[in-house]
Amino acid sequence: MDFEPRYTAEQEAFRTEVQEWLHENIPAGIEHPADSIDLTYEQYQLRRDLGRRLGEKGWLWPTAPEEYGGGGLTVDHSVVLEEEIDGYNLSLPPYYDSGGRLGGNSILVWGSEEQKQEFLPKIFKGEIRTWQLLTEPEAGSDLANAKTSARRDGDDYVINGQKVYVGSAHGSDYMWTITCTDPEGDRHHNLSWFMVPSDLPGISVFPMDLLSSAGESGAGSGVKNIVYFDNVRVPARNLIGGENEGWKVATTHLELEHGTGGKIGRNWIVDRIFEYCKTNNRRGEPLSKDVDVRERLIDIYIDAEIGRLFQLRNYWMRHSGAHITYEGPQASYFRKQSGLRIATGILDILGPAALTKDSQWGAGEGHIEAHQRAAIIALHPGGTTDIQKVIMSRRIGIGRQQRERAGALA
Amino acid sequence: MDLSLTEEQEMLKAAVRRFVDTEYPKETLLELAATGQNAPSEPWSKLAATGWLGIVIPTEYGGEGGSFTDAGVLFEELGRGPVPGPHLSSAALGALTILEAGTEEQKRSLLPDVAAGRRTISLAITEADYQWDESDVQAIAAPDGDGYRISGTKVYVYDAAAATDIICAVRTENRQHVGLALIPADAPGVSIRKLEGFAWNLAEVRLDGVQIGQSAVLSGRAMPGSSPFSGGWLALEQAVATAIPLLCAYQVGGSQQVYEMSVEYSRTRIQFGTPIGRFQRVQDHIINLVNELDSARWTTYEALWKLDTEREAADSVHLAKTVSSAAYYNACNHAHEVHAGVGSTTEYGLTLHTTASRTLYQFLGDPKFHRRRLADALGL
Repeated sequence: MDFEPRYTAEQEAFRTEVQEWLHENIPAGIEHPADSIDLTYEQYQLRRDLGRRLGEKGWLWPTAPEEYGGGGLTVDHSVVLEEEIDGYNLSLPPYYDSGGRLGGNSILVWGSEEQKQEFLPKIFKGEIRTWQLLTEPEAGSDLANAKTSARRDGDDYVINGQKVYVGSAHGSDYMWTITCTDPEGDRHHNLSWFMVPSDLPGISVFPMDLLSSAGESGAGSGVKNIVYFDNVRVPARNLIGGENEGWKVATTHLELEHGTGGKIGRNWIVDRIFEYCKTNNRRGEPLSKDVDVRERLIDIYIDAEIGRLFQLRNYWMRHSGAHITYEGPQASYFRKQSGLRIATGILDILGPAALTKDSQWGAGEGHIEAHQRAAIIALHPGGTTDIQKVIMSRRIGIGRQQRERAGALA
Repeated sequence: MDLSLTEEQEMLKAAVRRFVDTEYPKETLLELAATGQNAPSEPWSKLAATGWLGIVIPTEYGGEGGSFTDAGVLFEELGRGPVPGPHLSSAALGALTILEAGTEEQKRSLLPDVAAGRRTISLAITEADYQWDESDVQAIAAPDGDGYRISGTKVYVYDAAAATDIICAVRTENRQHVGLALIPADAPGVSIRKLEGFAWNLAEVRLDGVQIGQSAVLSGRAMPGSSPFSGGWLALEQAVATAIPLLCAYQVGGSQQVYEMSVEYSRTRIQFGTPIGRFQRVQDHIINLVNELDSARWTTYEALWKLDTEREAADSVHLAKTVSSAAYYNACNHAHEVHAGVGSTTEYGLTLHTTASRTLYQFLGDPKFHRRRLADALGL
């Protein structure tokens, strides 16, 4: 066994190349607000510019196939890229692009050759940013109950309906959307996916007022929206995976969303609270010397380490082609549950200083306060903790007569 | 990065599993639990004949010279049984202690016997205060002619009843040093009394003026000119730190077995006209169980990897013992919730694990102890 990435001489040479390139190309003035809702339009554009430049190099989606505009690189290279960009407190892509991340993989598996040629290069080169639109007022955990309708009319589909808790700030270019194409059809056999250009007439976007805008992994989302479709005409060629074949596409999409991707990395909030407790005194001693504080810090550390190892395992499983069953939703479930426990531990340690972003009386320059809210919101994106348990049970082989298989990944 | 076992480790895993299935079937495990006669016994002799008891012992001392991860694979499979000791006590902790604390001569004379199962070791460290701490050791080694006379009472000694030799942590008469003495279990003045009840293989070891020679002191770490007992405790701590992930691997194996039993039961037990696994309340237990199992598995194997690659491992070792002890304990609790009445019958076999999980929870330090050590290791 080997728990660390091994770097060959070639990888180290690649690292040097990446470091030099990032040094030249990371725009000056990139800021990292504690609360992603404070990310300005200018800041967003800086990140998009960086994304386009990364895309030209094939480094935005490094392992995506080269023939469709991806980097065509091995996981060894993508590890190096992710580590180096992480050093700038950025990720790949350096902005919220849920539809690109999940839709891109789904199109690779289920799209026609023509569709791959049309959509994937734009995604993988960073020319477009895509939101995923799944949740509806009556289709939360029960995604198959999506009611947003898409009705065939000539060469188009006409979409009507409402999506909620979706997207981010500063708009999108495409919307990766699940719809109902046969209201009378059987469950799981009446859904269809579309790549919808965001500028079509009849689409309107309204930001929601939520407890927190973050709570998803990757680049902070900024804000969540309600999107209305009012007789939106989408060309039929934008239908991905076939009419009423949307559930099989969803299995690929959801497999990734439920945490099967895995990742390598540390939990920044844990580093922050450890540092805070070592460097801030109470009654003349570092907080970390207090017996109760140490207990809470160890609770936090254990949760963070197990979460790190689950993510590391999933990353390895995905990239080594190991047989995956329940591990994706397990990591998601654990991250959500432990995230809230960690927030509780931090509140225990810091008291009200964890709850204010006041520059004098708040802890951690607003990051702690934002985390207290984000940890709650993080419980639901990509499926509630209860849904993760339902999927785990099916994969373990106790939830249904037939053991459920993991969704196909590209 | 590669989290898979090597081909050789997969072969070892399969071989140990076959061995346990054949030589330690449930009927044998229940019989051993009832009689307490773990070693010597027929299956123990067969286990010794495999050579696996020498897995951590270098080939130059008659062992197999395996890596810590190799040994982890072995102990994980033994934990699935759960195969009763004294393998952890002798082949892991005993061998590693002799390696750390013994002189070259002691290693040459003792380790081949340990590897072959001719000698089985039990470590008598704890006393009435039960701290896994140097300050806990009050048994005294008083000079007596050319050797020493040892007196004291060791309690909660794991596997003592199955041992041919006991390594005792003892304090010098001037109280300055805590070191290690190797005492034959049948030496005059040694009395071993099993502690009956829920606990698995625990005993009291009374030492009443037991006479030992100089050669019985594990003095490999003693400073020239200083007491032969000096350096013993430090060597023991280092041995314990490397033995702990092997104990954790055993707990992982136990948790894995308990998980598989619970999944199988929830698929086949019918109530209200349906397999009970369809009920989300029951699924909750299984999911809690598999989360405990995987937490133990990956913290344990990361610690083993750090030992194999000579990385600083203190944090991972304390983390693994904290997590694995709680995991095996909780895994059994969840399994009892799934199995209800059936799980409480001795013949079903779950209680073998329940008993082991309780005993190993505290062996070599409980989660509370290792959490404190973890905080220290993290520089808090």
